[in-house]
Amino acid sequence: MLDAFSRAVVSADASTSTVTDINALKAFVASGNRRLDAVNAIASNASCMVSDAVAGMICENQGLIQAGGNCYPNRRMAACLRDAEIILRYVTYALLAGDASALDDRCLNGLKETYAALGVPTTSTVRAVQIMKAQAAAHIQDNPSESFAGAKLRKMGSIVVEDRCASLVAEASSYFDRVISALS
Amino acid sequence: MKSVVTTVIASADAAGRFPSTSDLEAVQGSIQRAGARLEAAEKLAANLDNVAKEAYDACIKKYSYLNNEGEANSTDTFKAKCARDIKHYLRLVQYCLVVGGTGPLDEWGIAGQREVYRSLGLPTAPYVEALSFARNRGCAPRDMSAQALTEYNALLDYAINSLS
Repeated sequence: MLDAFSRAVVSADASTSTVTDINALKAFVASGNRRLDAVNAIASNASCMVSDAVAGMICENQGLIQAGGNCYPNRRMAACLRDAEIILRYVTYALLAGDASALDDRCLNGLKETYAALGVPTTSTVRAVQIMKAQAAAHIQDNPSESFAGAKLRKMGSIVVEDRCASLVAEASSYFDRVISALS
Repeated sequence: MKSVVTTVIASADAAGRFPSTSDLEAVQGSIQRAGARLEAAEKLAANLDNVAKEAYDACIKKYSYLNNEGEANSTDTFKAKCARDIKHYLRLVQYCLVVGGTGPLDEWGIAGQREVYRSLGLPTAPYVEALSFARNRGCAPRDMSAQALTEYNALLDYAINSLS
């Protein structure tokens, strides 16, 4: 498992040169608190994100919770919620490290094959991941939609910078995209 | 590669939980100390060749017998290899400064070091001398800030200890 710093070291070592792009790492350090806020925003809202994403996936495909569906009975629904939480957790790790290796090595490696063997429909899984991607973006921006959230609207209240952490939103989205492409 | 962040993630993963507040605080602490490390890494990278050359010259000066026929510094090929080794250690020190831990030195420098030097019949004292020279050569604020120099010297001490 690598983070942004050790990734720089490993790639420098491949050409036996010193790490020269120190400025990129300084930028990582300078925006470190934003990154920690983003991780905190996801981690604090994780259970809500997971249940909403799975509920959204089922809303769009009611067959999942009817007899023969992959979220029927409760035992399989529970497995589905658990898996969504695991995926979100590894995306959070990747965001914290600033590198996808934790996600790749510990979560995505062999996931597609496992799901194929267990008969899990990847299109549905991908849909849940897409919903989590949108949720994560909203939480990192701390800009939840009032029209959708209604009375349940919750803001983290951290001071959000002008660009609403656009680079972190893009980075988090790239990790979700990684999950999606690993599954499809 | 071990660093504060990967250690935090590994332990959170072992417990199957999201990063907790104390995890985030540990990472924040490491990020706050990163400024000095990166400064040292930047300065060292910019002067790596000179630092390595001076350290090499110092150790050959002290152990001049190495230039004798059949010794480790006797031919041009051997000289180049000696200089390369010193530079290699300094490069690993730079990696450690970047990562914020001793992982690169441990994994790529120290693991197997004793066996290699024993089988090649190389003395470790000249390496110690070269790194000690670099250890005492750095000067704050001429070369880098005091905090950065502390980080740099601590890693050189670590490398010296591994060789002695």
